[in-house]
Amino acid sequence: MKRLFQHAEIASEDSPKLTRADVLVEDGKIVQVAPSIAAGEGVEVIDCSGKILLPGLFDVHVHAREPGQDQKENIRTCSEAAINGGVTGFVMMPNTSPAIDTAGVIKTVLESARKCRIPIYTSGAITKGREGKELAAIGAMHAAGAVMITDDGYPVGNPVVLRRAMEYAKNFGLIVASHCETMELSGKGSMHEGSKSYSLGLEGIPAISEEICLDRDIRIAQYTGTHVHIQHVTTARGMNTIRRFKEEGVKVTCEVAPHHLIFNHEDVGEYDTNYKMNPPLRTKEDNAALLQGLIDGVFDVIATDHAPHTEFEKNSDFGSAPFGITGLETALPSLYHYFIKDGKFGWDLVVKRYSAEPRRLLGHAPVPIEEGGTAEFIVFNPGATSTFSRDFMKSKSINTPFINKTLQGRVDTVVLGNEVLLSR
Amino acid sequence: MTPRKDLLDIQSLTDEELDFILTNAVPFKNLFKRSVKKVPTLRGRTVLTLFYEPSTRTRSSFEVAASRLSADVVNFSVSTSSVVKGESVLDTISTLEAMRTDYVVVRHSNSGIPNLIAKNTTASVINAGDGFHAHPTQALLDVFTLKEVFGGDVRGARIAFIGDIQHSRVARSTNLLCRRMGMHTAMLAPSSLIPRDLPQDIAVFGSWAELYAWKPDVIYLLRVQMERQNVPFFPSLGEYHRQFGMTDDRLARVRDAGVWVMHPGPVNRGVELTDNVMTYERCLIDQQVENGIAVRMSVLYWLKPGSATEEAVV
Ligand SMILES: [Zn+2]
Repeated sequence: MKRLFQHAEIASEDSPKLTRADVLVEDGKIVQVAPSIAAGEGVEVIDCSGKILLPGLFDVHVHAREPGQDQKENIRTCSEAAINGGVTGFVMMPNTSPAIDTAGVIKTVLESARKCRIPIYTSGAITKGREGKELAAIGAMHAAGAVMITDDGYPVGNPVVLRRAMEYAKNFGLIVASHCETMELSGKGSMHEGSKSYSLGLEGIPAISEEICLDRDIRIAQYTGTHVHIQHVTTARGMNTIRRFKEEGVKVTCEVAPHHLIFNHEDVGEYDTNYKMNPPLRTKEDNAALLQGLIDGVFDVIATDHAPHTEFEKNSDFGSAPFGITGLETALPSLYHYFIKDGKFGWDLVVKRYSAEPRRLLGHAPVPIEEGGTAEFIVFNPGATSTFSRDFMKSKSINTPFINKTLQGRVDTVVLGNEVLLSR
Repeated sequence: MTPRKDLLDIQSLTDEELDFILTNAVPFKNLFKRSVKKVPTLRGRTVLTLFYEPSTRTRSSFEVAASRLSADVVNFSVSTSSVVKGESVLDTISTLEAMRTDYVVVRHSNSGIPNLIAKNTTASVINAGDGFHAHPTQALLDVFTLKEVFGGDVRGARIAFIGDIQHSRVARSTNLLCRRMGMHTAMLAPSSLIPRDLPQDIAVFGSWAELYAWKPDVIYLLRVQMERQNVPFFPSLGEYHRQFGMTDDRLARVRDAGVWVMHPGPVNRGVELTDNVMTYERCLIDQQVENGIAVRMSVLYWLKPGSATEEAVV
């Protein structure tokens, strides 16, 4: 089986410039990348004029809701949503019902994952039931295939428990991923504490709730010598704290979500629950600082925190509705629409931060479009648009600010090995 | 003026609508002096009160307003014992749709519930107070009262809000409307009850001394809502009264300066104010109550519910 992707513009993490080339794929391998390749006998030709080829994306922060919350999503629908957005691999979060906190549950979810068309990995919980009290069976989960541990959705409130978890995880080389929030300061808050929460009469989640916990968690990581990965950073101050610790040589990595770069608390408008997420949307100034941090390289990876919820749950008052928005299907078009299109950053940044580095974070090799590599890439069409209608979405849930909106750019094709997983 | 279905907050009112409501409240108030206080304006219409938070005062004010317009008033009892979330509110609303109600007057402890209901019903929704968000008819009646006091024009007058600014929907809505009418506004409260990121043009004070220096024309005492405070914002009610309440000493000073005093009620005697404030000649509390009925009549008269035969959106 041979496929020739002709007249493509190839993106790589090494250069903001795209390279015009043809790419020949044979039996799932990239056998040739050259300025011009003749289509031989029996070769399927895919014309990529005006389109961009980039390595398959990889998301380290995805809520697949399996086991236990099938009405929102399951691993299969989540994987199809990923493919729809050009994501060819991801890491599941353990805040399921029951939580992914034993080797048994790890095995169960990985079994479901094996039936999907892309590789899927899972994290395990740090504490039993994500209750922050007793350590989960970290070693057994690692042996069963967990690639990181996190209590995501919550911080580990007790610093002693976090310290022991970090010390213990070190034995297995496991990354401890941290959702930073000081629950007492967040209280019953449902959005960023500021002018908008005041005018809507909603209790706020102050920036310090995240910043204090972030500082604490990195200090414990520094003390224990463990690799800590800070999830979904939202404030300029928190980001600068990470920058400082990195300069000191602490093993800390971090992620930023597209929605925290694009939206701010004003976008909540008149109680639009599709803008309710945790951590919340902060200020315009934070948007700008985070974007600069992404360009400067403070952020190691982009991750969506894909968090499906049913329409029923989201059709509630802002305070009662659950936190979280979906992201797998909208991430790449939104990064293109808001940033690349206007020259805020180049394709190299997306390849580096949303494909190569997330894989390196797990100790995997990136998947550049090079001769000899496995074919794992997507064809992005900047000339087309994506309208995120119910029909377009493959996720079970459509809780996204982009619902029924149109963005410039579209994922046209997803190739993984010998398979074309998506072709529009 | 395009017909409006709902009254959810102050922000969304146009100047024209605002003027319409305040102007029409005057003839409605004049009606109170007649022996027959009723007009047939809303005959055949149904006004439903849906109070998830107890408030006899506001509820009766709406009920009196509706019945003086000859509407039928239905009181829908709902559980106020536990926090009722949006989802179950929507269940109630689909029941109400079947009852073909024209107006729903709603109060709820969660901000945004009236907005949620308005999106899911063809009836006109009037926000009678939601969470810490808004209480638009209170703001309208307050400004109506101020206009009476200041001879129709409130521009340049100075009003200071005292107390639990953070948790007060009255402070939000009335303050907003006062500033829109050209008044200068200030706030005096313990810092723990002052929200962050207030609009720049609101003066914020920490003591009565600072407030006196500002020379207010009106002092608006807010209800201290201990029931809303799960973590203490100040040490005790006694201390609050000593530091921020209108004590007899402060009342004497206020009387000398001829300052008007307002309160949305019900008052906590000995906390926000002493008993003597209630008999102070420039205390506007009773006038606020009376004007509340006129203003609410005007609001009901102004709103245009969607046709009851239309299909529900639920
Ligand atoms: Zn999280």
